[in-house]
Amino acid sequence: MPEVELDPKKWVDRYSDYLFNYTITRVNDAVMAQDLVAETFLAGLKSAHRFKGKSTERTWLVSILKRKIIDYYRKINSNKGKAEVRMSYLDNNDETGDWLEERVKDLRNPTVEDDIEQKELGEALQECIAALPERYAIIFVQKTIDRMDTETICKEHDITASNLWVIIHRARVQLMECLNKKWYKID
Amino acid sequence: MGRVFINCNDAEVLSTREQYNDLNSKERFKLKMHHSHCWRCRSFNKKNCKFTRTLNGLNWIKLTAAEKAKIRSRIKDAIERKL
Repeated sequence: MPEVELDPKKWVDRYSDYLFNYTITRVNDAVMAQDLVAETFLAGLKSAHRFKGKSTERTWLVSILKRKIIDYYRKINSNKGKAEVRMSYLDNNDETGDWLEERVKDLRNPTVEDDIEQKELGEALQECIAALPERYAIIFVQKTIDRMDTETICKEHDITASNLWVIIHRARVQLMECLNKKWYKID
Repeated sequence: MGRVFINCNDAEVLSTREQYNDLNSKERFKLKMHHSHCWRCRSFNKKNCKFTRTLNGLNWIKLTAAEKAKIRSRIKDAIERKL
């Protein structure tokens, strides 16, 4: 009997944003990132019988996603893949530019490091949110990230406004502690 | 919370609500009164504000509802084909 059971019907709600963030920081292409997330879920479904329940669902899905990202890079680094990239460049109706040069980032740009730091901080925070009790995580995300109004959230979860604020307060305290450990000291 | 003086638990929740601009003037006054004599809650409030700044500074990249629906339907199809 596995210690953790898979629940594929809830995968999109629970993990798609986290996996999408994880992917987009590695492939820098939103459409490709969406495809890779969808393919990860499908691969997860296919190999569900091999899930032993020793890790969490999310850790298991991330390990599948990592392999998908490696496959993606293998593909674009193959000769066929390189040709596909050139073709997609030429499809932009700009045949005069140097496609390779234009795709190289300017590493002297001071915002590059900031971007990386923001991405890593975002990932750390996503991990901390995922570690919250499910209800806390959903309500925190709805209020803080989705900026939904208090009344709508209260109706959806059948709670009073004071309950909602206590939940958000506890979620924030746990997140601050988690980020302290993972990232830096908030003091 | 009809009283002017509040305890630390109430002050912490008010501090969190303040991060979402949810306090009315009466509540804001109560929180200020509490902070005037409680260094622990003042310090918590400082951390809370810093955490809000951290959250606001992040570029939250999320899938749209339509994009999620697309992925969901792909999973649904796959499950149905499997059954």
